[in-house]
Amino acid sequence: MSPRLHMLLGAGGVGKTTLAAGYAVALASEGRRVGLLGIDPARRLQDTIGVQLADAQTAVPGVDNLAAAVVEPQRAIARWFSESVADDQAAARLARNPFFRALSDQLGTATDVLAAVRLAEWRERDPLLTDLVVDTAPGLAAVDFLRAPARLQALVGGRMVRWLLAAARASQSMSAAAHRVLTSVSGVVGTAMVADLAEFFALVQAPLSAMLARLDVARRWLHAGDTRLLLVTSTHDTAAAGAVSLSRALASADLHPHAAIVNRTWPAALAAELDAVPVPAAAEPFVAYVRAHATAQAAIVAAAAPLAPQLITLPALPDIDRAGRDALAALGATLHHHLQRTEP
Amino acid sequence: MVHGQQKPMQLVAASAQPRIVFVLGKGGVGRSTVAAALASSWARRQARVLILQWAISDPIGPWFGAEPAGALPVTVSPGVDVVNFSLDYALRAYFVDHLNAGWLYRRVIRARPVAHLLEVAPGLAEMFFIGQLWWLTNLAASEAGLRYDRIVVDAPATGHGSPLLDVPATMATMRGADLFALESRRVADMMADPAQIGAVIVTLPEALVVRETLELHQRVRTSLGRAPNAALVNRSAASLVAQPDPGAWLDRLTAQVSPANAQLVAGVHRELHARLDTETQLRNRLSDATVHGVDSFAELPGHTPRQVVSALVQQLGGNA
Repeated sequence: MSPRLHMLLGAGGVGKTTLAAGYAVALASEGRRVGLLGIDPARRLQDTIGVQLADAQTAVPGVDNLAAAVVEPQRAIARWFSESVADDQAAARLARNPFFRALSDQLGTATDVLAAVRLAEWRERDPLLTDLVVDTAPGLAAVDFLRAPARLQALVGGRMVRWLLAAARASQSMSAAAHRVLTSVSGVVGTAMVADLAEFFALVQAPLSAMLARLDVARRWLHAGDTRLLLVTSTHDTAAAGAVSLSRALASADLHPHAAIVNRTWPAALAAELDAVPVPAAAEPFVAYVRAHATAQAAIVAAAAPLAPQLITLPALPDIDRAGRDALAALGATLHHHLQRTEP
Repeated sequence: MVHGQQKPMQLVAASAQPRIVFVLGKGGVGRSTVAAALASSWARRQARVLILQWAISDPIGPWFGAEPAGALPVTVSPGVDVVNFSLDYALRAYFVDHLNAGWLYRRVIRARPVAHLLEVAPGLAEMFFIGQLWWLTNLAASEAGLRYDRIVVDAPATGHGSPLLDVPATMATMRGADLFALESRRVADMMADPAQIGAVIVTLPEALVVRETLELHQRVRTSLGRAPNAALVNRSAASLVAQPDPGAWLDRLTAQVSPANAQLVAGVHRELHARLDTETQLRNRLSDATVHGVDSFAELPGHTPRQVVSALVQQLGGNA
């Protein structure tokens, strides 16, 4: 049976990391073999579950059947390129190439692409895996990789790339048209730069093709029938706006969230209760803030409802990140329970 | 109204000099809000301002009832135009308007295999972005009739923002022809000049953002070879919890509501307090590490982006 993908999506600061960790713990406690992949550069995932995480997956102590990892961009890029570049000499040439340095700078910030490649790699290397929970990059960046293949594809395909590859091999078979274009380009930017560009393309073909193949696995997994896409928002206006634009981006890729989660909601009665009591003058700004949030919350829940077939509201738990593993597992179990109610 | 500290802002001093200010910070911190407010406050001092956005999911135009900007300027408020960077347009501006090499543009640059490559060649879009900034400040008036006194750059730090500042270093590693060497010199000179380029970092008082902010700060410092001009902590909790003796009023407040809600109210207060601690930490780390120091701007729940921008403009003292 193929493993199931669970992906939490949402703006920054909505509590995705905490929810993902709790949810993974809840799944693992049912005896499934669970992976938890984070992209959080602030390493909050490891503070939350209390284990040092790295590019390689690590067993989470105290939770059977749960392994976790984070995407470490520079380490992952170095690993993937060294795995598929022919030899040390080629690797050294690649490291010196100015275009490769620019590419690895770009990829280094494209955590979504790296996370997608990483999750396909996880599936490939752990055949017993039953569930992978992914805490994604904030906002639209999480699904940029759905469009990224076109960009990366262009680096391994395209007529100009073929011409440059032919030039790199000093091939005699170059057409007159290719020769004319390359000569013109050389005239503008210089022959040395064209040579660097040709070397760049010659060296990155294999590693980029491997990445593209994994991106394709990730994309198909994302579209699989039992994949759970969970759209998370907090009760902040910006987070809710983020959820709406994310759901639009997902729809344009023919992806549909399984549930919309409004995280950190406050009891509806709170605002009314505060209105009914005398507020000390010094507390006025604080109470105004709480009231404004409570008012905004109703609008946000209403806006989130149409984003997915299921709407889940989870309570504000101000001290959750300091409350320890049990509180985390309880939150995850609540989410898991809600999600299971709609399972056939 | 809760509008944070009504102190003169460092941003005003910080942005007095550089003609081009990069507003940097990760997605969701309020970068575009700060960019729009800076532009409006300059415009109120009679400057013509351009906001150059790149790879933005929530463009500024619609906040002000305008269309989302394309490659051509859209006016969003008096004196403030917005443009969304487009590599296509930048290439045309460079080859046709600037080099006056229309033939080269049509026959080589627009030739499909080359155009395709230009879209994906790593580092190239960043180079043209910086090149366009140079063009906008030096030649756009004479070549395209575009006159701007000031430019605000709004580009995400993850993805494009800080690699932008590395463009001179990238260009220095490339072995190009004479024309390329000339362009790299121009760009490097512009970036090295504090009267031309400045950087402002926008951040949030959240524990998980602190480390990234300090990394971004370090990266700006390394790339520009000088400290960022200022930093702004958005969604500050200072005015919400730093009241005289919060212990006393908080106890009185929580005593009046039901036990479950009392617990929640106390928890929310603790969270806001933790944010205040994070803010203090950020201020301590950044105030000496920026030219002009750190500002705070309060969270305004339930406000539209346009209202938040006006509140920040007011705090920037743009009523002159």
